Amino acid sequence: MPSTALKMQPETRQAMPILAVEDLHTWFEIRRMGFFKAGDVRALDGVSFELYAGETVSIVGESGCGKSTLAKTILGLHKPTKGKIYFEGKDLSELDKHQLKEYRAKVGYIQQDPYGALPSFMTVERILKEPMIINGITDKDEQKRRIRQVLEEVKLAPIEDFLPKFPHMLSGGQQQRLVIARAMILQPRLLIADEPVSMLDASVRVEILQLLQKLQYDHNLAIIYITHDLSTVRYFSERIFSMYGAKIIEKAATKSLLKNPLHPYTQALFEATSDPDAENLKTFKDVPTGEPPSLLNPPPGCRFHPRCRKMIKGLCDVEIPPEFQVTEDQSTACWLYKDHAQGK
Amino acid sequence: MSNDVVLDVRDLKLHFRTRKGSVQAVDGVSFQLKRGRTLAVVGESGCGKTSLVKAIMRLLPRNIEVYSGEVYFNGVDVMKYSDEQFRKEIRWKKMAMVPQASMNSLNPVIRIADQIAEPLLLHNKDMTKEKAMERVAEVFSIVGLPLDFLQRYPFELSGGMRQRATIAMALVTNPELVVLDEPSSALDLLTQANLMNVLKRIKHEMGTTFILITHDIGTASELADEIAVMYAGEMVERCSAEYFYDDARHPYSNKLMASVPTLREDKELQFIPGQPPSLINPPTGCRFAERCHKRFKKCAEHPPVVDVGHGQRVQCWLYDEEGEVKHA
Ligand SMILES: Nc1ncnc2c1ncn2[C@@H]1O[C@H](COP(=O)(O)OP(=O)(O)O)[C@@H](O)[C@H]1O
Ligand SMILES: Nc1ncnc2c1ncn2[C@@H]1O[C@H](COP(=O)(O)OP(=O)(O)O)[C@@H](O)[C@H]1O
Ligand SMILES: [Mg+2]
Ligand SMILES: [Mg+2]
Repeated sequence: MPSTALKMQPETRQAMPILAVEDLHTWFEIRRMGFFKAGDVRALDGVSFELYAGETVSIVGESGCGKSTLAKTILGLHKPTKGKIYFEGKDLSELDKHQLKEYRAKVGYIQQDPYGALPSFMTVERILKEPMIINGITDKDEQKRRIRQVLEEVKLAPIEDFLPKFPHMLSGGQQQRLVIARAMILQPRLLIADEPVSMLDASVRVEILQLLQKLQYDHNLAIIYITHDLSTVRYFSERIFSMYGAKIIEKAATKSLLKNPLHPYTQALFEATSDPDAENLKTFKDVPTGEPPSLLNPPPGCRFHPRCRKMIKGLCDVEIPPEFQVTEDQSTACWLYKDHAQGK
Repeated sequence: MSNDVVLDVRDLKLHFRTRKGSVQAVDGVSFQLKRGRTLAVVGESGCGKTSLVKAIMRLLPRNIEVYSGEVYFNGVDVMKYSDEQFRKEIRWKKMAMVPQASMNSLNPVIRIADQIAEPLLLHNKDMTKEKAMERVAEVFSIVGLPLDFLQRYPFELSGGMRQRATIAMALVTNPELVVLDEPSSALDLLTQANLMNVLKRIKHEMGTTFILITHDIGTASELADEIAVMYAGEMVERCSAEYFYDDARHPYSNKLMASVPTLREDKELQFIPGQPPSLINPPTGCRFAERCHKRFKKCAEHPPVVDVGHGQRVQCWLYDEEGEVKHA
């Protein structure tokens, strides 16, 4: 799987982004004794980016930083507290019921835990039919044709053997293939894959990533690939967004980020990732201690400042850093780069 | 046998009885481990890693069909011990284990310090509460837990801190061998890296012998002096870390390495087609043969373990003289 296989088709850049997210906030209200408001969990706290047709972006960050909340907010499963989502130029908040349904058909979703994502009482055939029925594809031949096509694409063959099976009869890798098949059956333009391989063994992980890559290529899909594992992204995406404390703190072309991560948190993720190497025995890892911030009472200024060794007193602990465009394809929300132009 | 060998396992078998048949989770595993060294046991989930260490620690479920072999601990075959003797003299005192996901099975209503003291009080009759608490404070600082956490309850600790607590619990009796079953796989990257730092320090400063079970070879390389690869209940390769990552010999080890993504190097990833065999009636020949790109006639028979030099042992016909001749 050469990482260069994923060159974005040049024409896609000029077009309108397939997805644009502007200053997106999703806060969850916490109530004490079920009644008094005790505060908000700021699970997503001001996120903006654009994604073009056929483009693959990875979102990396540790658990609790808001990755799944971002995915679910884009999917319309959470209502944003503030901010806008545009899909193919249209503001989601202005869509009517029918248009929303159309939108959901265009955005496929691969959930974190494949087994939990599949209803245990349904057969493979039923699982794949369900989204079509909901979206008014009732023609039996069309249903059959599509089921056949997606199962072929995800390589669950021979198809006849799989149709009557229940999820528990499938291996972890096969279950994930089925989840992908279901996400593909309405022929989406955008796929949101939330940690699609984190529960799988290394070999199966490669199999699934290569499958996603092929689907991306064959259908010119845009993909948002969410992961906490930095080492898989180079094989998968053109761009990386690094998330910390409910914010995107670095955006970069994958190649540039892997050469030179800018934000101290991204640098820490990099340092913390071990490639198999006997030399690792001889050194200690230089990583920050401590814990990610509370999203109920986030620290003032940069959310990483309490753990950051390069913290500038009176600045990082006071003022939230804006996005600085450091190179053409790399920007970061970090005061260390304050001499560079501010991004939008 | 040289006396710096802590653990010498010979032909260890652990088969489980199930309705569908006998599950050969550990099937004839042999290896030695020297004092102060760390052995990482790697392999896909279900290949028998946990069962192997449970067989060594004699932490067995009820449905045992076969449990046999020799486990020499400091030169004494402790498989011959009665359960009572093993419990009194070996488990916890000499070898301790941090089970998989144990950070989530701490007792929620008992203070951390009291839980960590438990094995001490249980296994040393003349241990006083005060002495135990002194030792608990000691292991607390060894694993890098702040002392003011002593009186806290598990829910007041983060995942990483709870994992340190379970490691402190394993260390509290000062055992010679500590088994860690997937200690970091549920933790976040930075927490995981910090934990590996802690374990590395313990290894250097206290000379503890570790068996580290993991399916993450990158993380394993932080601590492992030796690597053991398991496949379908068998140990198919055993090699010093120095040689393993670049020069593993078993075709399964090669394929496994080829599936590990790397951050700093752009390599072509490969997966292993097919699935491991069922451990109920597994193939009588090489268990990997069906998926092996180097398979040949001989592989229908059970492969011997061949020493290919510098202690690297491979269970594969490719390295058997007789096999090579026939292969050519
Ligand atoms: N429905 C919810 N109600 C309250 N808090 C939530 C909810 N969903 C997520 N959170 C909180 O929001 C934060 C971000 O969670 P999540 O988006 O799941 O992170 P990630 O996917 O990066 O692990 C966490 O602190 C989590 O506990
Ligand atoms: N008590 C048991 N009864 C029956 N089968 C078991 C039992 N414990 C484990 N197994 C089976 O033994 C095999 C090896 O399991 P395990 O040692 O947990 O593998 P690993 O730790 O490598 O994932 C698996 O097929 C598992 O289902
Ligand atoms: Mg998540
Ligand atoms: Mg296990």
